[in-house]
Amino acid sequence: MLAAAPPLQPIPTSNVGGSIAVAIVALFHVQIATFLTGASFLIAVSEGISIARGDDRHERLAGGLLKAMAYVFTFGAALAIFWVLFVLLGMWGTFFIALTKITFWPFIFEAGLFLTEIVLLYTLYANWDRLRAYRRARFGLAILLAIALWWQQFFIDIVASYMLTPNGGDTNQLAQVLNPTDLPLTIHRTIGNIAWAGAIVAFVAALRYRRAKRRERDVRVEDIPLEHSVGAMSATWYTQADRARALRVAATNNVAFFDWAGTWGAIWAISLTALQPWIGYSFAKEVQLHAYPAWYRMMFGDISTVFLLQIFLLGVIFILGNLYFWRRMRASGTRGVRTQVLMLGFLVVATVLAAMPARFAWTYADMVAAHKTAAWWDGGWNNPIGTMIPNKVIALMVLMIAALVVVTSVVRAHSRGELRWGDATRRSQWLLLSLGVTVSLMMATMGVIREHSRQPFLIEGEITIQGQQILNPATQGQGVPSIGSTP
Amino acid sequence: MVRFFTRPFAKRSRSAYRWFDERTGSTELVHKGLYEAVPEKGGWAYTLGSATLVLILLQLFTGIFLLLVYTPSFTEGWGTLNFLQTNDRFGAWVRGMHLWGAYVLILVIGLHMLRTFFSAAYKRPRELNWVTGALLFFLVIGLAITGAMLPMDQAAYWTLVVVTNIPHYVPGIGDGLRQLWRGSDFVGQQSLTRTFAIHIWVLPFLLFTLIGVHLYLLRRHGEFGSWVNYTPATADPEKELAERLRRAEPPYPTRRSERRWAVPRRTVEFFPTQLFKDTAVSLLFVTVIFVFGYIVGAPLSAQGNPATLTYVPTPEWFFLPLDQVLLLAPGTDLIFAGIALIGVASVLMIVLPFLDRSRERQPLRRPEVLLPGFFLIALLILLTVIGANRLWNL
Repeated sequence: MLAAAPPLQPIPTSNVGGSIAVAIVALFHVQIATFLTGASFLIAVSEGISIARGDDRHERLAGGLLKAMAYVFTFGAALAIFWVLFVLLGMWGTFFIALTKITFWPFIFEAGLFLTEIVLLYTLYANWDRLRAYRRARFGLAILLAIALWWQQFFIDIVASYMLTPNGGDTNQLAQVLNPTDLPLTIHRTIGNIAWAGAIVAFVAALRYRRAKRRERDVRVEDIPLEHSVGAMSATWYTQADRARALRVAATNNVAFFDWAGTWGAIWAISLTALQPWIGYSFAKEVQLHAYPAWYRMMFGDISTVFLLQIFLLGVIFILGNLYFWRRMRASGTRGVRTQVLMLGFLVVATVLAAMPARFAWTYADMVAAHKTAAWWDGGWNNPIGTMIPNKVIALMVLMIAALVVVTSVVRAHSRGELRWGDATRRSQWLLLSLGVTVSLMMATMGVIREHSRQPFLIEGEITIQGQQILNPATQGQGVPSIGSTP
Repeated sequence: MVRFFTRPFAKRSRSAYRWFDERTGSTELVHKGLYEAVPEKGGWAYTLGSATLVLILLQLFTGIFLLLVYTPSFTEGWGTLNFLQTNDRFGAWVRGMHLWGAYVLILVIGLHMLRTFFSAAYKRPRELNWVTGALLFFLVIGLAITGAMLPMDQAAYWTLVVVTNIPHYVPGIGDGLRQLWRGSDFVGQQSLTRTFAIHIWVLPFLLFTLIGVHLYLLRRHGEFGSWVNYTPATADPEKELAERLRRAEPPYPTRRSERRWAVPRRTVEFFPTQLFKDTAVSLLFVTVIFVFGYIVGAPLSAQGNPATLTYVPTPEWFFLPLDQVLLLAPGTDLIFAGIALIGVASVLMIVLPFLDRSRERQPLRRPEVLLPGFFLIALLILLTVIGANRLWNL
């Protein structure tokens, strides 16, 4: 009976089709998963602040974010199953089973944490209002949720970084956990995920603010409590009653709340992204040391132009944040507006320098093949102004420092009670909307760079994309014949 | 004189003490040391300073023990320590304590500075407390780096080569500076002798001088920080502050400070409340050092060999951020830029009280200082983690 069974047919797809399917599903999956991780952190922070300072705005934000997380997670979980079952197993079975065998334990922990996430998220979602009577318990659950999601990210980073720097196919568990790019990637993603969640908060708050402002035209919330100063001292403080009144108003009034939430989200997005150039540079350095061909493709090969796009988007993120904070501060007439204008100049110049091509050719090899290695002013295609070292590095450092000044300036105005929530213009919200879209594009671009830099490998130096051939004897025993290649 | 020796022992002791006290004023000194007002709230946050002092003294004692054996010689230095490790009953333990003492000291002094930074304890009139404290921090780092070069095993030899080469990146005078430290263009006996002298004489002399100044300033201005409660509790803050100023005990009210920050709401005597907390925390750190010094000890790899091709030098953990900067900045110009950046950051750290002139003390109202500070600290931590990961994969 068995011998008479017809042979299994391969799924009718090509490498290109499979790659496109992976690209589409992976990009959605990454954006959703990273949002969930970052949002869980922001929920815990907001819930903590809300308890510590009696700030109802943070409670409202935490509740809203948790609801959003539950909805997005529901869709994201279905997508993840589709991604693993159909795309990875169906189209890239040999590779995925080999990878699962190599990184078996990280996947097991990943699955366990997925269950933990489900339990915690839906417990919080279903009981958010009920748990208001037990704030500390709710806060504890929020922290647990954030921890579970961070560990989930940590374990999947082991898999992702192993694919890029497998260190000669060393399948030892500890070597996998501490593979050369794992910690840099984990740090990069931890910071990036929170920044991404901040950008989403800013995006949604901008949409809601525009609507609220239109409906409640001319609403202006006096969110600044009266200051009480003592004698000759310059230091001031507010009475508890003043604070409570101001915070109640700010939490219940949509115009004030979404104005505040948009700024709060943007502050997270810009301040954490300011750390990323250095962390990203460290990550790239590890790729250079341990997966040189991949690094070469990123810096000199097919992906180098996409890499420039990434640097450009980074500069745009900072510029959009700066423009928004400038408009926001100007609307409330705070101090430090001129600092924002000055920083805008630095950011624009640094972005232009950082995103400038080092050659006017698609790849370095193209330039060499065309015998055009001379500088452009000598008739060649080379552009010494756009070199990575030292010009782009200096430009990246300027971006980091300027972004830090931009954020510090707006936080300073906020901490002194100079920002009045509700003052922001409707038009300025376009900047926050653009910020959200740009950060999303940035994440997609980074994914494309990381995945494509490995080509023609699925696991660098170990398994190829073409026919999913396993090259390294160390990983040879981990693979199984794909359905398509069964004789 | 004969009468003195014929008295009972207790009477003789009292008499001797009176004689001594009359000439030195020791009772008054001890009284001044133990009975001074300290803020009641935030006491545990203020234990790190005294813990730092205890750890520095521990380093001094363990260092003296090591000096009894160690010879600062290119050829014999490693042998003396190897002898200590293998033939002395407590030698390895004392060496381990010296190493772990240095690690814990760097951590504790770093935490102490963080607390001071966070709670704005560097503001008027305590600017010089901060400046001396920051200099002490750099001296401790200097001691740790020079100490790592002395054992003359492979790790120490290559640390000596790499670290004494750093001044060379300074444009113009770099080669001269390197030669001054090394004694020639290359690492040799002179390099070790000079590093040894710096480690046991130059830096400790500066260290203990500055500790004296730091303690004097602390006693003059009293402890301060946003952990301490200064907020008036009554409906009439002005009246409450005036009353507090009137009843204050030395060293409060702090001179040249705003009235609001001049006297804490409640104070206690240093002895026994604060002294107990200080002792408990110091004891905890010392125990950690004893345990780690015994269990883990201090490594001593093979004798330093300039001709080796197999040894991969790795920096100490506290050196990792700088090592990452050197790694990430290929090319002499950029290495200098990286080092210059760290130099500028260090100078900014020392002169912080003169840059942050605002009167605000509450952390949440000083983002212009705290945000860049946290940014820098985050970068240092992240560079350390990434650097450690890189070393693991070497």
